[in-house]
Amino acid sequence: MLPAGRGRRAAAALRAALGEGAERRRELERRAARSRALLRLWDDEEGERPQPGSSTEHEDRPSPKELEELELLNRALEKALKIRKSILKTPLEAQGATAQKWAGEARAPKKAEELQVPVPVENVLECRKVRAGSKKPLLSKKPSPFQLRAPYRTDPDVKKLQRKVPARCVAQGPRTAGKISSKGMTSKQGRSHRTASGTSAREVCAAAEPQETLGLSESAPNEQQSFSGGDSDAGTNSIAAGKHLLDAGKKSCGFLGESSNKVDTAGAWGRSTSPGTGTLQEKGSQLKLPLPYKKAYSKNSRAWERCRLCQTSADAAAARTRFMEKIQMTFCSPKLTPSPAEIEEELRGLQDVPSRLRQYVEVEPADPPTLQGEYESLLTLEGLQTTVSQCLQKLQLLRAALESQLRLRPDCTGDVGSCSPACHPARGQTCDSADMLAVPLLCYSSLQELRDLFALKLQVSMLHQEIALQKGTITGSQNNLSWKRPTTSQIQLLALHRQPKNPTLCLRVLSKHSWRSGSL
Amino acid sequence: MCDVQSVDFWRLLYVLLKQIHGGRWTESDAIGAQVRFVKSALWYHGYGRPQLQRLPADGSAGSRELLLAFSWLLHRLRLLERLLARNRLRTGDEASVCTCEDELPSSLEGAAEAGPEDRVDVRYLQWLNGRLRLQWCSLHAQHQEQCKLLHKIHLFTNGSHMDQNLGHFSVTETDLIRRPENYKQLLQLLESETMQLEAFLEWKQLEPVYWQWMETVLDNMAEEGNICESQDAHVEKRRLPEVTSCCPWAEKLTGQMDRLSRDLMALQEQLHQLVAQRRAAWWEKVAAKEELQKERFSATARKIQESVELKLRGLTSLCAPKKNAMHGSCRLVLRNKQPASRMGFGQCVSKEAVSALSAAQVSRELQVRETSLQRELEQLRQECRHRLDKIAEGLEGVICISP
Repeated sequence: MLPAGRGRRAAAALRAALGEGAERRRELERRAARSRALLRLWDDEEGERPQPGSSTEHEDRPSPKELEELELLNRALEKALKIRKSILKTPLEAQGATAQKWAGEARAPKKAEELQVPVPVENVLECRKVRAGSKKPLLSKKPSPFQLRAPYRTDPDVKKLQRKVPARCVAQGPRTAGKISSKGMTSKQGRSHRTASGTSAREVCAAAEPQETLGLSESAPNEQQSFSGGDSDAGTNSIAAGKHLLDAGKKSCGFLGESSNKVDTAGAWGRSTSPGTGTLQEKGSQLKLPLPYKKAYSKNSRAWERCRLCQTSADAAAARTRFMEKIQMTFCSPKLTPSPAEIEEELRGLQDVPSRLRQYVEVEPADPPTLQGEYESLLTLEGLQTTVSQCLQKLQLLRAALESQLRLRPDCTGDVGSCSPACHPARGQTCDSADMLAVPLLCYSSLQELRDLFALKLQVSMLHQEIALQKGTITGSQNNLSWKRPTTSQIQLLALHRQPKNPTLCLRVLSKHSWRSGSL
Repeated sequence: MCDVQSVDFWRLLYVLLKQIHGGRWTESDAIGAQVRFVKSALWYHGYGRPQLQRLPADGSAGSRELLLAFSWLLHRLRLLERLLARNRLRTGDEASVCTCEDELPSSLEGAAEAGPEDRVDVRYLQWLNGRLRLQWCSLHAQHQEQCKLLHKIHLFTNGSHMDQNLGHFSVTETDLIRRPENYKQLLQLLESETMQLEAFLEWKQLEPVYWQWMETVLDNMAEEGNICESQDAHVEKRRLPEVTSCCPWAEKLTGQMDRLSRDLMALQEQLHQLVAQRRAAWWEKVAAKEELQKERFSATARKIQESVELKLRGLTSLCAPKKNAMHGSCRLVLRNKQPASRMGFGQCVSKEAVSALSAAQVSRELQVRETSLQRELEQLRQECRHRLDKIAEGLEGVICISP
């Protein structure tokens, strides 16, 4: 058990995050339902029924059974680690014996899981079975050194599938027994026969549609962040949810082709009906807005255009400038120092500079072949060096500006958070006024571009959230762990947010930073 | 003497600034809170008139000061244009291109509720964590599906829109065609927006008068102010210029600056070594070469310098914030790539000047942002790991094998 305050705060933070996520999902589902309705028969009335709900989002607590299973899995992992430790020292013959013993343990939790799982769902369940079942074959496979390698392939056809997308989907580095494969993502085909081959370790990260996965948020070279596409129903099965906790830190998941199924059938359905009512596909290019709306729309867009092109008259501009100058003179600091808003904006602009510069540096060859190449490389590096020092200088200036601005800050007694507007900085500040009144468009030219865009946006959001949670852990742990000998549970909590990059071992169940490692 | 106009004026500024800042307000917000917010917001935007900060906290006086502040905001923040754009009726499929942090991260930190006194099982946290993960997965799948649907609709309705820039209908517009009866309110909103725009045009006509008037107001106040200034001067000096560290915003900013500074200095160190190495190697090579070869080389040297300058030109703009970075939401438009015209940030594509961003460009920016965030996260985790290691050293009987 964790000390109350620390644990509660973490739980509250996680719950808040879950709440926000649930809200987003609901909103998305509403929009998707509307879009789907449009793609069906044009006169179709029945598309108004609500989507199969995400009922289990409301689960606040894991059921005792889930807790039990978690406990079992935790213990199994502990044992695995103990074994691993001993194995590292003893000869490898011992491997066989221990492996069996351990596999036996692993089977026990697995059985428990199988008993309770309700029928319908998909990949999510797969994952559990995979996990449990996979421990065994792996142990018996590897000679030395003892390094378990995911994915745990025992299924031959799955193997094939995996080979199709080799580089993309394979987990980085070997993982241990403790690390369970990440969100079970099955292939499209695999989905249909999920319960049939319950005992075999299904391929965990087969990319069902490689071309889709490839496009997805590929960030840093060694890392994979393809998402596991869970169906909304799958995602909300709380029992399955509990199982995912012990996922290994594999970052690769295949994209579940389930959603594409949905859309395809919708389209097909539309296509096959009688031409009377028609579908969007057929009539789409001849649609016309209803007349009253059309009139209002064109009036509106003409008004926008007039406003955009409207200039300030010369008199007004002159008077305005005079006013602004005079009032500036009456300020505390008449000379122009960056306002807090500007400081923040400048800082935002600088945030990505180290990453970008690093990219430039990495591109430079280590040993250029020609003399010219070497000269060029040298000049480039020197140029980069200059840029870095410029940035550092700028940072210095910003710091000084911030300090001087803070001195002028109005007293904010009481709760700073609520009254400070700086918590919600003024967005859109950097547009100049001409562009402000223009229609803001975001043009894309292909489906893939659109999908990449959304995948990246989501990834960035998720990273923001993770960083916030991580910061919460650190600040919390500062208070808790300093004054007394910490308990193991506190370590567990800290380790919740750890990311085991080094693939040799995970810290029992706690390095479930496995899921933290973005098995998304 | 309570100035009723002042209270109203405070409220006006409060509501306007709240909109700009994306916050929420209610009718019942206390005047004290409103005053504090407005003062804080004006400081944030760089309004430095001390008389404003000295106005009483109950909003009972200062309507002229507020008038000045309002006028200043009008120009400085492009208040009217900004509000119009912000509240623009959006009938398209919108996507935001802002890479900034999502709002209200405070909900994730220190939300200490006075819950039941039972201790929290770590398994519960594990479970929550797992659910969070799953949720992201599901969100992703949902988004991807939505992309497909949008693309289809955009594709199918291509050629129907009377606005050439757009070319196709959005989901809302298509639905409007299908079920016009559901969208009566939209029509009303559209019409009222048109009226607002016409009011804006009227204002533009009156602008010269307004600014001339403001000048006179300022002049009058300056005259009156001179009399009282000497009295207030010593009051102001008494204010201790201590930097209040209780401000979370300042802390956040300082944190960012520290991190940035660390990153840059590490990079500087790395570059320093690299450059020293390369320079040494270069001079060795040059010294070994014949004089003749050196002469031949100097011609190409200039070319190389130019090409490197070109390559690094993009870097100078790195340090400046992207001037046309948009924060609001944009309408998604399917448009075939036009090889002739380049679609970059804020560049015009069609004959009418609409600011069109390209999804590819935005994706590239997001990619960079993602890399930075990954690095930040990794650094935080490292810190966590260090802490854990330190603790683990002091423990016995625990299997703690550090990755």
